[in-house]
Order: sequence, then structure tokens, then C-alpha cells
Amino acid sequence: MPFTYPHFGSLTYVFEILLTELGRTDIMLPKEPSRKTSELGSRYSPEFVCTPFKLTLGTFIEMLELGADQLGIGGGNMYCRFGLYWPVQRLILEDLGYDFEFYPIPIFDKPLNLVKSLQAVGNNCTVWETIKAFRTTWIKTRYIELVDELHFKYRALELEPNQADRLVKKLHREIVEIKGLGNLRRLGKQIPEKFENTIEIDKEKRKNAIRIGVCGEIYVALEPVLNLDVHRKLNDLGVITTNCVSFGMLIDFGRKINPFIRLPYQKARKAAKPYIGQRCGGETQENIGDIILYKKKNWDGLVHLYPFTCMPEIITRSIAPEVSKKYDMPFLSLVIDEHTGETGYLTRLEAFVDLLRRKKEKMIG
Amino acid sequence: MIYESEHKGAKMRMKKKVGIPRALLYYKFEALWTTFFKELGATVIISPDTNKTIKDLAVRYAPDEDCYSTKLYFGHAIFLKDKVDYFFIPRFGSDHEVNVGCPKFIGLAQVLDSLFPDFPEIIMPYYSKAKANHGKRRLIRIIFEIGFKFTLNPVKILRAARRAIKAHREHEKNLYISESKLEKWLQSKVSLNIKPNLGNRNEPLKIALVGHRYLLNDNLSNLNIKESLAEKGVDVITSEQMPRRLIEDQMNKLDYNMYFDYVRELLGTIMYFQENNIIDGILQLAVFSCGPDSIILELASRYSQRTSGPPLLQLVIDELTSEVGFSTRLEAFLDMIERRN
Repeated sequence: MPFTYPHFGSLTYVFEILLTELGRTDIMLPKEPSRKTSELGSRYSPEFVCTPFKLTLGTFIEMLELGADQLGIGGGNMYCRFGLYWPVQRLILEDLGYDFEFYPIPIFDKPLNLVKSLQAVGNNCTVWETIKAFRTTWIKTRYIELVDELHFKYRALELEPNQADRLVKKLHREIVEIKGLGNLRRLGKQIPEKFENTIEIDKEKRKNAIRIGVCGEIYVALEPVLNLDVHRKLNDLGVITTNCVSFGMLIDFGRKINPFIRLPYQKARKAAKPYIGQRCGGETQENIGDIILYKKKNWDGLVHLYPFTCMPEIITRSIAPEVSKKYDMPFLSLVIDEHTGETGYLTRLEAFVDLLRRKKEKMIG
Repeated sequence: MIYESEHKGAKMRMKKKVGIPRALLYYKFEALWTTFFKELGATVIISPDTNKTIKDLAVRYAPDEDCYSTKLYFGHAIFLKDKVDYFFIPRFGSDHEVNVGCPKFIGLAQVLDSLFPDFPEIIMPYYSKAKANHGKRRLIRIIFEIGFKFTLNPVKILRAARRAIKAHREHEKNLYISESKLEKWLQSKVSLNIKPNLGNRNEPLKIALVGHRYLLNDNLSNLNIKESLAEKGVDVITSEQMPRRLIEDQMNKLDYNMYFDYVRELLGTIMYFQENNIIDGILQLAVFSCGPDSIILELASRYSQRTSGPPLLQLVIDELTSEVGFSTRLEAFLDMIERRN
């Protein structure tokens, strides 16, 4: 009974870790989506549903063709329609004649229900084993995100192309496969050193490189296939980037219940309070708050990505201009869907980077 | 003389004007809101039925990716802007423990506030039973916070709230029909909406009109569908009138929770009539780029393919929908039903 799940940037590794920890040996890693995947998904999708729906549906169709028959996806009650993806996709896939089973994970439910639904996915795990597996997952996720962060920094500055990509691929694999938390921590400590030792960077470039944060709806912001690899495009322009949204924070109960640590997304929510006072789904509050926080951290700009017809992010997009003006933080909002043209997209990013560069030069000179 | 002018001033202060845009949630809470502000001694100004001016304002000023109904909300609000002292735009999450409304309704007030700094003060209480766990205490706090803007008399505020809630309950009671009345409607003994013009037909066609409340009650955005259906000899039941029990029964049959509160009645109505096959057709209206609608449309069409219920026509409406194309599809649908019978 091969189990599969949607492709989700470097978080694909996170789900792989979780499933292996839960004792599954029959995981089918999702294929990286291609143009064909999104076409396949759009063909069978409702007319104006958001883009992640189409891409995940396309991935599922491709994986079912390859022989998977257990599908994992997020579910449960939330503000956006993500929780209703699976009922609709189930009907569509059934009508296409596939034989399969869905395993929805209620991501915003009470912790106990979350554990129970993870248990259903796992291979005869007890509650304690499930919790332990979940814990290992979130700890490993910290390092995966650390690798990503360094990746987007070193790729912008590297002298010899593709060095960072190769190292990151190796490190991700290592983190997934390493056994024992002690070994993991040891590896984690070496990560920054490894980057420093392997990759030769342009020191001149480093001094006046501009820094841009990528925020937005979490799936679009973190899935390189959907956002046309925004980080690579910006890195190629010599820009250091980072992910403002993070999936690891949401599942990291270890740091969540620690009263001495305030996670970035909690800070962002607080900073956004005067502009959007309550949660309204998606990453609205986090994104608005990030405009303020990243200005304080002296970053140069933010790129905001959201899928077409995304309900919560349209709110962000409407409020952001006011906040961005007030805090003098350049903010570029881009809609992504399966028709987004690569050239037009790149042109807008280039123009944005040029604008930031000129702004920075003016400030220095 | 002095006393009189002071008195007049006090009176002027008393009669503050509160503007409520006639769009979105207004159609659900119309009795509650208007009664509350009237009892508080304010003048309630509700924007007129959507007209050409409002639509033009909406298309011009609203963010271009919002759904059509939200755009109209912007139009209504801008129309009222100079005529009122306060806007009442609640950030209403939901009144159910788990199910939520549309995220846009929650963000609406602050979006308007940031897009149009020249707006008068917006009263925007935040209430959400789901997610935020707001209960009675929060409600009472909101009532007093709003109340003290208009009067200093707490008794008056409480009375206003009580009357408003009573009016709201009454309104809902009148709106939802009982199951026996549904039975009568099926036998053509009563008509629930505009009386159909029978013409050369001896029995009216029975059609369920399914759509958001703010779509079905707004004659400009639904292209006057109720009247044109009545004209063609169709007896209509709308999804908002359906007995609540039948809808909840249908929703309990699903193996997942349909957590968008306002579309439960739409899906429930469609599923009920598909299951029982007692009417001639179902007409579903959807708003373009509405999030929940995109899910519901697909669920409804896929479910109805699996049952041998009445035919289902789904029409998506936006600001560019032409009346001619719309009525052609409607006529074709009715023709098809007649041939089927």
C-alpha cells in the first residue's frame, strides 16, 4: 500500500521524516511537479479554485498512475478552503476511476486529535511512539530550515555556480537519514561550518548585497515549482533571500510551549495587530507583521506571493500598501497561477531589485 | 433661549447617523443591526438597493481580485461615505463553535480603513465563536462599547440589545419555513416567493434557487432572477428558506465537516433535493472568485452526477455577466425541464 503526499518544496523531506519515524516503509516520494502536472491538475479542477489545489491534484494523478494508493493531505477546520481540498479531490479522482484512500491530517485540531490521525497513518504506532516521531520531525525540521536559510544566502554569493545546490542536496539527505537526536545535533552544529568551508564566496559582493524576504501564502512561498523558483531567480541577481513564512514553526511544539522563546510568527502577529487585529486565515497577520519586523532588521524589501483567488492573502494585499508606505519598506505583491509567464515574472523581480539597489545607493552616497 | 439651543445641541448629538452598507452580511443580520441602532437612538442609514452608480463605484475602487459581492460592498460603503457619522462594519467570524464564515468578512473593516483614510469612524467589533472562542461575555462587552457611543444610559443599551436579538429571532423564524409548509409548497398550495405567472401551464414548475443570501436578495447582481423566473411560470424555493433541520441532516451525512457556515445551506439544499427528487430542477447561482463557492460548485455537480435527481444548472455571476446570455441559458434550462417532464 504505497503512501504518498503532495510535493512541498524542501518540506517534502519533512513529511518523509515523519512517515519514516511513524514506521512506514512503503513511502512513495512525490515526483517534482512539472508543467505537465499543473496542466493535468487544471484540466480536472473546478474553474476558480486556488492554484495549490490544481497542483496537488495533478501530483496525486501522477502518483496514482505510478501505483500509489494512499494519499496524505491536510484537512480539518480552518479559515481557508485548504481543509476541503480532499473531499473534492476524492470525488474528482473517483470519477477518473482510481482506487485509493485519503488520509486527511487535521492540522489545526486539538493536539490529541492530531496524534490520533497520525496514528492512523502510521504502522501500528502507540500514542507515545507517535508523539516521539512527531518530536523527531520537528527537531529535524529546524535543521532543514537552517540549511535552506544558508542555501539562499550562499547561492547568491558563491563564486562557482551550483556549489551550494549540491551541498544542500547532500545535507538534506543526511538530515533525513541520520539516526538518533545526539547525532543530529552534532550534525546541526557543523552545518554553518560546512557551508563556510565548501563554498567560496565573493566578499566584495557580500558587503553591498541587498536582502529580500519572501513572504506570502505558505504553499506558494515554499514550493519552488509553483513560485517559479523565486529564490533562485533572486539569488541569480545577487540578492540574499530568506523565507519569512516557515512551516517548521507551526509544528514545532517544543518551541511553542517554551515560555522563554517567542517565535518569529508570534512576534509578527503582534506587530500586525494595529492593521489587522485578528487571525483571518492564511498568513495575513504574519505577512503584515513581517513588513514591520523586517524593516527593523534592516532588510531591503519583501516579495509577497499568493495564489490566484486566495481569500486571506487578498486582504494582505489590500492592507500592505498602507503599512509599507508608513514604514518605508518596499513591498512587491505577485499573483501566481498556472498561467504565470516566466519572463514577465522575472522582469518584475528585476525591476524590483533595481529599485532597491538604487534606493540603497542613494542612501549610502 | 439658551436652554433651548443647548437642548437642540444635545438632540443633535443624540441623533448620530450610522451607515450600514446593504451587502454581504447585512442580508443575514438586517433585523439585528437596524433594530439595535434604532433603539439606541441613532439614525440608521442603509445604502439603497444596488444600482448602476454603486456598481460603477465598486468596479472602480474595489481591489480587483475580490469576489463580485465584496466589490459591491466597497461600492455601497463609498456611496454612503459622506452621508454618515459612523460606519458599522463588524468583523464577524462566526456564531458556531467550529464553523467559520468567510475570511474576507473579518478583514473587510480594516481593509476599508486602510484603503480609504477619509472614511468616517468605522465601528468594527470583532466577534468569532469559532477559533477565537468568544462567548456571551464578549458579546455583552461589544454591546456596551457600541452603546456608549450613542447613549450613556446602560438600561437603554441593554433594552436595545434585547429587542435587537428578539427582532433577529423573529426575522429568522419568518424566513425559515417549516417542514409542513415545504410539503404544502410541493403540492402547490402556497407559494413562498413571487407568485408565478402560470400562462398556459396548469402547474408551475418547481425549482430550488440556491445561492448566497447576498446574491439572491440583491436584484442587480442576480440579474433579477426571482422575477424573471416567476414570469416564466416557475415557483421558487430559495436555499435561505429551507428548514434548518433538513439541511443539518444532509450535512451530517458527509464524512467531513463543511466548515464554511454560509454555504452549508446551499450544499444541504442541493443534496436534499437530489436525494428526494421531488422538484423539477435546481438552479445554483455562484459569485465569481468566491472561495467557498468554487468548492461547493464542484461538490454539488459531482454529487448530482451520482444520483438520479433533478437537473442542476450552475451559473457563475460577475460584474461582466450579460443579461442576454444569462436569460438564454435560463430559458434553455426550463425548456429542457419541460421536455423531460
